[in-house]
Amino acid sequence: MTSKMAGDTRSHTNPEQDGMTEQQKLQHQLQVFQNSLPKVNQIAFQMLLNEMVPLAVSVENKLINSEIKGTPKRNSSELEEMITNVHITAPLDKPSHKLCQQLYEANDGTREKILERLRSMGNQIGNKLTELLVFSNNPNLVFKDMDLLSVMKFICRDVWKQFYGKQIDNLKTNHRGTFYLLDYEYRPIQTFALDDQSTEEELAMIKPFFEIPVGLIKGVLSSLGYKEEEVVCMASYIDRPTDRPKSTFNKGVSFHVQVNMQ
Amino acid sequence: MAIKAILVINKSGGLVYHRNFSNEESLSSNDYLIIASTLHGAFAIASQLTPRAVQLGEASNAVDYTIPYIPYVGFPRSNANQNEKSRFSSNNVSITTSLGSFKGDDYFKEPFQSWNKSGIRQLCTDQFTMFIYQTMTGLKFIAISTQIPANVNNSDYPIISIQVADNLLRKIYCVYSDYVMKDPFYSMEMPIKSELFDQRVRQMVSNIA
Amino acid sequence: MSNSSSMPAQAKSLKHAGEDIWKNRTEKVNAELFTLTYGAIVSQLCTDYERNFQKVNEQLYSMGYNIGVRLIEDFLARTALPRCENMVSTSEVVSKCAFKIFLNITPQITNWSHEKDAFSLILVENPLSDFVELPMDAMKQLWYSNILCGVLRGALEMVQLDCDVWFISDVLRGDPQTELRIKLNKVLKDEIPIGED
Repeated sequence: MTSKMAGDTRSHTNPEQDGMTEQQKLQHQLQVFQNSLPKVNQIAFQMLLNEMVPLAVSVENKLINSEIKGTPKRNSSELEEMITNVHITAPLDKPSHKLCQQLYEANDGTREKILERLRSMGNQIGNKLTELLVFSNNPNLVFKDMDLLSVMKFICRDVWKQFYGKQIDNLKTNHRGTFYLLDYEYRPIQTFALDDQSTEEELAMIKPFFEIPVGLIKGVLSSLGYKEEEVVCMASYIDRPTDRPKSTFNKGVSFHVQVNMQ
Repeated sequence: MAIKAILVINKSGGLVYHRNFSNEESLSSNDYLIIASTLHGAFAIASQLTPRAVQLGEASNAVDYTIPYIPYVGFPRSNANQNEKSRFSSNNVSITTSLGSFKGDDYFKEPFQSWNKSGIRQLCTDQFTMFIYQTMTGLKFIAISTQIPANVNNSDYPIISIQVADNLLRKIYCVYSDYVMKDPFYSMEMPIKSELFDQRVRQMVSNIA
Repeated sequence: MSNSSSMPAQAKSLKHAGEDIWKNRTEKVNAELFTLTYGAIVSQLCTDYERNFQKVNEQLYSMGYNIGVRLIEDFLARTALPRCENMVSTSEVVSKCAFKIFLNITPQITNWSHEKDAFSLILVENPLSDFVELPMDAMKQLWYSNILCGVLRGALEMVQLDCDVWFISDVLRGDPQTELRIKLNKVLKDEIPIGED
């Protein structure tokens, strides 16, 4: 392990290498490791994330529809035949922006179901991502005996970095299970632009996109031993500190995490 | 090449974006809508006018639709070095120098083929010059300049400026693909509301002094 | 394949263009992250539709379509490739440029129809489904990577190619290979932007 590290650092001719602290060396090591992993285009990933919200709405539409119509049970051979043909005739959805609009106009019950679907997907991603990071031989991470604060730091640093390409900007805690994870430039929404509606409306329309990270946070926590029923997580808008450079989206996001342990 | 206006027209001839850069009397939105649809029609007619002879047989092979790459069109003059530096010094590339998801110090770096082969690419009148870049999906990106060739004998002038215009307009297309297409709230074929898009367009145009 | 021998120069430059954009001009994320995010989507759909996999297939397809109609602009702005004269060159662009740039894979082009209007892509690697194993009940019915069909259908439609896109086989279902079929129905001539001819 140590010899491999030395090899790696040497191959990167960085004049400041010698002045690095142990922590910096580990970070560098991690970077080298990360770079060696298979990659896909960030845009492909971004498009997938963007479409999750419209997708969740579309699913709800179809579920409501089939409830009304009632789907007749088909035998399996019939089903299989349909499946072989489906790709040719697959019905298309409404365009994404219409689905987003629909979510904004949905009644509370429907909206909650859609948001729950998003959280659930986030949750699964969180679970799997934790697994991935735990088994990634990341020298920064020692999961054994990790306390809640370290778990939170892990989310702010490693999970966020993986998922959003940046870390959480600020972590606040009262040391009694309450945490605020502040992201002043939440990446996925930076390019979002809406019609000339009032800002309130705009903000409300974008808010569902936070349910994925809310689920993600809960997913990571649950896979590290903090059961779902013990954790409350909510996202809200916050003002960006005035000393930060102007961002394209004028609000930051605060993820409020409350862990109630018995 | 001082650019006075940028327009984006969708494939049906509808205006989806316009920005006026001159301080002088500005046209009303309705005027712009009319310009857009008129231009869309004129473009189609011009394409019909292109002699068939040019489109067929040997002649068409002879036409070269390649547009040369002109480095850093739409960037600040001293850009090349600056960008390199900022990229290596930190991961937090500020918005002003960031090319969105386009990595590197320019949106593209190679000559490219024009998709616009028989339509209007450049329109010169005594008052203005207009440049049209059309994409394979049918979008038109248009730059209007009030600069006119001062000396018609100086044949260098219009050639270079259309190449600059094509480079600039393809970059605006890049910005469109990045900021407009990746916004799930954008309604296809409809007016562009993205401030980021607008910001980048204004920036690039202002750098073309 | 016959196509690669018939126009080696063009195919080569496409390969080069795809590789250059992937290597030098693309922001990247870990493929595993992409895989597991897509996995979470599929699994959520299976739950929501109570394992009615036909509906899952459809949903993935239409999600892909909505991505494809937008993603095509990114692809064109980045590559500025000229219009393909026929499906043979379309196949080259899809495999060597589109798949390369977005997913860093280059599927093999094969099984041309007699009329050269339909071909298959063999996905030797597939970042959507790396390390995925389907449960028994899904093996027969779920087209796990069906989103790809929708993306291709949407993207091709925007460049006036009306195509059917579907999976013929998938290693996840126990098939020997993952084969995706693209068949041109018609070129939407009326919609080709005036001025291109």
